[in-house]
Amino acid sequence: MTEQDLGETETTNEITGDLERVSEPTSQWGIAWRRFKKNRAALAGLLIEGMIFFLALFGSFVAPYPPNDISAFYQGKTRAPPSWEHLMGTDYTGHDVFSQIIYGASAALQVGLGATLISILIAVLVGSVAGYYGGKIDTVLMRFSEIFLVMPAFLFLVVFLKVFLTLRVAGFGLGTVIFVLGLLGWPGDSRAIRAEFMKLKELEFVTAAKCLGASSRQIIFKHILPNVLHLLIVLATSAIATNIIIEAGLSFLGFSDPNIITWGRMIALSTEAMRGAWWQGVFPGIAIVLTVLGFNLLGDGLRDALDPRLRE
Amino acid sequence: MGYKRYIIRRILYIIPLFFGISILNFSLMNMAGDPVRLMTLGNPGLNIGQVRENLRAYYGLDQPVYVQYGMWLWRFLNLDLGTSFYSGLPVNTIISFYAWETIKLELAALLFALVVGLPIGIYSARKQYSKLDLVASSSAILGISIPIFYMGIVLIIIFSFFLGWFPSFGAHSLQTLRYPFGSYFIDELWHLVLPAFAIGWVSMALYTRLVRSSMLEILRQDYILAARASGLSERTIIFKHALRNAAIPLVTYIGLSLGTLLAGAPMTETVFTWPGLGYLYVNAVTKLDFPVIMGINMIITLMILAVNLATDMVYGIIDPRIRYD
Repeated sequence: MTEQDLGETETTNEITGDLERVSEPTSQWGIAWRRFKKNRAALAGLLIEGMIFFLALFGSFVAPYPPNDISAFYQGKTRAPPSWEHLMGTDYTGHDVFSQIIYGASAALQVGLGATLISILIAVLVGSVAGYYGGKIDTVLMRFSEIFLVMPAFLFLVVFLKVFLTLRVAGFGLGTVIFVLGLLGWPGDSRAIRAEFMKLKELEFVTAAKCLGASSRQIIFKHILPNVLHLLIVLATSAIATNIIIEAGLSFLGFSDPNIITWGRMIALSTEAMRGAWWQGVFPGIAIVLTVLGFNLLGDGLRDALDPRLRE
Repeated sequence: MGYKRYIIRRILYIIPLFFGISILNFSLMNMAGDPVRLMTLGNPGLNIGQVRENLRAYYGLDQPVYVQYGMWLWRFLNLDLGTSFYSGLPVNTIISFYAWETIKLELAALLFALVVGLPIGIYSARKQYSKLDLVASSSAILGISIPIFYMGIVLIIIFSFFLGWFPSFGAHSLQTLRYPFGSYFIDELWHLVLPAFAIGWVSMALYTRLVRSSMLEILRQDYILAARASGLSERTIIFKHALRNAAIPLVTYIGLSLGTLLAGAPMTETVFTWPGLGYLYVNAVTKLDFPVIMGINMIITLMILAVNLATDMVYGIIDPRIRYD
């Protein structure tokens, strides 16, 4: 009896163990995560972004100096080279460059995530409607998006931001930059989403949903959209990287809120003394490169993990 | 047959696009501020109001925006971009002077990107997971992660300030005596190296990635196997059979990225104080020099439209399978 019991429990254990191992990959996201885990570059990207998020949220606890601290100025240590006291040196008014970089993380992430959220939302709306309905609606929407696709977006951005700088609409701030970036970033993504919708709407599950009497809105948002999610995630990650780079360029040219610490602005301020005090510009730049690189690695890893064509 | 009609339709299609973009830009620009106020800010005389009114009338800024746009459009159709508020020179003259520098820079960057990127991409595809492939893939992803202006700053610090090999700004030396070997041409090339490398490096990274992935896909196909089986040399297979098909995505990409490069010129040219359109543009926006803003924007838009058209035309030549209907 006892022996039999023991045997039984062992087998059940084995069975449940087996069951666990078998049942895990049946979820689509489970498979993706398993493939993602194997990709070392993608994990490195995840780690970098984790760090940047941490700095953006808890930067004030980590940074050695408060945001507006210019105590180094009174000690005569303006534009001081990197030392133990100031790991990345100080700038021309005595701000600690390392602390400033930590405070800049929040702005970079806000722009990256915020602008991407707006542009992806517009892209989904335009792309899904154009792809699903086709015909005249599709033509009108795509012609409209072509205007945004063809025009030199960066030149427009500069004029756009100049408008807000001049009018000082409700306090020109990071929000304006996010909004404008989001407004101009959607056309490329909307085309990719449209193409995917055009492909999926011909499949059987859509016909089945139609036969069951689902409305167009239900089909678009409940049936097709979840199947495009993997594409959205990939598009969004690379859009975040692009938006961070563009914002850095705008701040570098001086078209951003002068009251917020951004990495681009730190580089811009460094150019007046580049020959003597290289650390002012080089370190914020490394922060930009690391953040963008992290999102790019993450995006590449996600694309490989989520692409249904690459499934084993 | 279809090809010709397709191209004509594309050309006709440029017209509404051009109108949409120019109207958008013109109305935006007019919201950006009052150039006359900016001009007279420095000397507030007694009858400043009268002076401002006179200036507005002089520049035609007292008219409603749509009349101003109409006037601009009429002049544009007569190939006249107006007169700069600040320098008083015709915008045509200013732009033709600065555009040459921008085109020179972008072409040098494109050449660099293609000459370096194409062979590396082909090699990476042929020897997948080799050491050079790994280096190329990682430098490609690093390349798209570095903002061009930051690349420029790092290059200036290293090669100009620390090593002193290349000049840090401008398109040519100010004094003729400082020309290397006394040659204007070599002086220009010497100034071109750092900015062209900064811009070209990012494109090179992208081209390498693109050529590698499309080559990888093509080399696995049956017709390559057939070519190998019929005993063609590796060089013929790669350059005559595979590269031609790999070039299609590359051509699209070059077409698309030229637009991005032109639009990204403000940052690169500011870093290197390069006397090009981007540098001019940033200055014009800060000074609210309306005719110059409008002129540069429309010229670059037209360049992008032309490049897009050329890309479409090149498709038909590279790939006869593409159907136009």
